[in-house]
Amino acid sequence: MTRMKSKWLVLFIVFGLILTACGGGSDDAAEEVVADEPAETLDSPATTAAAAAEPDAPATKVCLVLDIGGLGDQGFNDSAYLGYNMGIDEFGVEGTFLEPDEGGENRGELLNLCAEDGNDLIIGNGFLFDVAMAESATNFPDTNFAITDSVIDPANARGMIFAAEQGSFLVGVAAALKTETNKIGFIGGVDIPLIHAFEVGFVAGVQAVNPDIEIDIKYASVPPDFSGFGDPVKGKEIALAQYEAGADIIYHAAGGTGIGMFEAAAEVSASTGSKVWGIGVDQDQYLTIGGAIPEVQEFILTSMVKKVEVAVYNAIKDTVNGTFTGGPVAEDVESGGIDISYTGGYIDDIKDEIEAYRAKIISGEIVVPSSR
Amino acid sequence: MNELFRIIKDKYVILTPLFLIIFIAQFEQYSQLTSSGTFGSALRLSIPILLAGLGGLFSERTGVVNIGLEGMMIMGTWFGAWGGYMYGPWGGVLFGLIGGGLFGLIHAIATVSFQVDHIVSGVAINILAVGAARFFNILAFDGIAFASSTASPRIEGEIGKFNFPYLSGGKIGENETTSLLGNIENADIFLVSDISALLLGFTSNISYFTILALLIVPLSVFVLWRTPIGLQMRSVGEYPSGSESLGVNVYLMKYIGVIISGCFAGLAGAYLVLEGPNVYLQGQTNGRGFIGLASLLFGNYRPFGVLMGAGLFGFADALQLRSEEAIQGLLVVVGVFLIMLTIRNISQRNIRGSIGTGLLGSLFLFWFMSSTQVPIQFIYFTPHLTTLVVLSFSKQKFRMPKKVGVPYKKGELN
Repeated sequence: MTRMKSKWLVLFIVFGLILTACGGGSDDAAEEVVADEPAETLDSPATTAAAAAEPDAPATKVCLVLDIGGLGDQGFNDSAYLGYNMGIDEFGVEGTFLEPDEGGENRGELLNLCAEDGNDLIIGNGFLFDVAMAESATNFPDTNFAITDSVIDPANARGMIFAAEQGSFLVGVAAALKTETNKIGFIGGVDIPLIHAFEVGFVAGVQAVNPDIEIDIKYASVPPDFSGFGDPVKGKEIALAQYEAGADIIYHAAGGTGIGMFEAAAEVSASTGSKVWGIGVDQDQYLTIGGAIPEVQEFILTSMVKKVEVAVYNAIKDTVNGTFTGGPVAEDVESGGIDISYTGGYIDDIKDEIEAYRAKIISGEIVVPSSR
Repeated sequence: MNELFRIIKDKYVILTPLFLIIFIAQFEQYSQLTSSGTFGSALRLSIPILLAGLGGLFSERTGVVNIGLEGMMIMGTWFGAWGGYMYGPWGGVLFGLIGGGLFGLIHAIATVSFQVDHIVSGVAINILAVGAARFFNILAFDGIAFASSTASPRIEGEIGKFNFPYLSGGKIGENETTSLLGNIENADIFLVSDISALLLGFTSNISYFTILALLIVPLSVFVLWRTPIGLQMRSVGEYPSGSESLGVNVYLMKYIGVIISGCFAGLAGAYLVLEGPNVYLQGQTNGRGFIGLASLLFGNYRPFGVLMGAGLFGFADALQLRSEEAIQGLLVVVGVFLIMLTIRNISQRNIRGSIGTGLLGSLFLFWFMSSTQVPIQFIYFTPHLTTLVVLSFSKQKFRMPKKVGVPYKKGELN
């Protein structure tokens, strides 16, 4: 009897292990390769160098490593994936894309795996890759690296940074022109400098139009707690409080938490009878969140669009053409990597004013602050 | 009259802070302390914690530690979303319950039948649930628009909400009624308005799911303390070999307890999905299962105690999310309360106690007077701190089930 039981137990544990492993997604097989490979082979970039040197080499190989959240976040991972696909379609490059595991501990392993695999360009999507990529880029000096939202030291690594404050300024202008209560809200995901740029730019945009508008600022969590990027329940409660306090437009820079804000906008509009708005971030959320959740679509005033796909596409293009450079490459309203969305047509009537401000930013007449 | 004095004398530790909060809330900048919006928000934030805590209660009363509540809650979020997608919101509720219960069953098999260490099995459940939810999500929703490895498609329809007629402006048939409580809240009468704000928060915009969750509290009391099976379940947590000698099926009772535990944790997960964004998102539970476990300890293994613990945490969390000024008001409450305790300690010649409370109290008051803004980290920490402070100053004696966490083998004498 006991033996029978212990057999069941073994079966149960094995089944559990299989299930847990399967959760990692399609890259598991690839990860195991890394574990089996001895560490000494890491420093052999021979194949890579050959491929990069010959322009007639069969095909350029590109590797994209997404950050936690993964594909389908309706935010910057999906954007990066879009740019990666644009590159593949246009230049016929050979592509691999990987997602890190739950906590993202294997970022470094995945980058090294891509480098060993002879890729010409390796993209790490997100500032959390900075330490791991600096190490990989030093170990593989002949491979091109690119990182989103951060700048790292090695000369072969490009920092794809975005002037999010400029786009936030533009949506701030839109909010200030559209508010009827002279009260506006901002919801940040986590209280970190990257998100401060959104806040500061937004506040500057609102105040450029009307300095008397009151702005209610709230972050969903403070580091080291990063849950504020994925907690729609908190997003909803914060937004409800801000709408109740009289705000009629709220801008979020909070990832998945923002879904709760749009839900709150729909709920408050229905219960009070007067329409309140939410402003999206990163992607044109009228199409992404509004597409997934049709009930909230009519409450999405506009979005601050951060075109990660443009930067990723450019990195691929430059690698194919052999014009890839390291160091910071900034996308802003001038280059088109940062934009405001007019989808839905709710801000078409103030388009002229917004475009006037965009021209002033481009001409340098207005310098948008990016830190507190 | 004497009766009233007696109650005040006995319960002043609870009554004074409440009175202080109401008093402070009269000032405009601290009004969020007792607004109906805060109470409504507190209720919504505390329900998942309450359900997880009640889940823990059933498991631990039968002697099985359930640190896997978080994992069972994760299964509740996924199965809730899947059930909701297939069969509508109430299907989501049912499947959330089943999904959590399924993982409760796994925990029961491991801990009861195989006498695996309860903590080890619980941790395994938590790890397994994260991967399993992702795996199921890819399996079930592959290729469906707007779904991904970390998010499910949206659930159509929602669980209804209602307002009580006359009290908070609900409808009778098609006719709107007045909101009596709303009018009283707006009248700004000391104490009366604050109490009606509390009632308004608890009677307006209430989801049927919330009612269901709240009904489980008295139901748990009834089942555990007023029915034969409840007595058997509790006896198993206290003295399993004695129960067995009296003919109680110890294993069966433990199984029932742990499965119910999983079911409630699953309900908590389904609540997060169905009362939140109506989609499953990876990492949606955010450690609420562990807070539920804490509220169980706070509530001294009693359903209404769990309700108090979850409510307190939810209230502090709501305040924290809604108004940073109100947190400052809370500082005054804590400071004044500690000073009052000091006076009591001095009158009772408890020198050491009075020095402690006096120092702490003056520190809080000094902090309040000297700063215009509470440090931001402190604000986010408020729910945890409040719970900690209340726990350390309430004079209850904790008593956990005697044999909780001890693996029991049939026929064993322990």
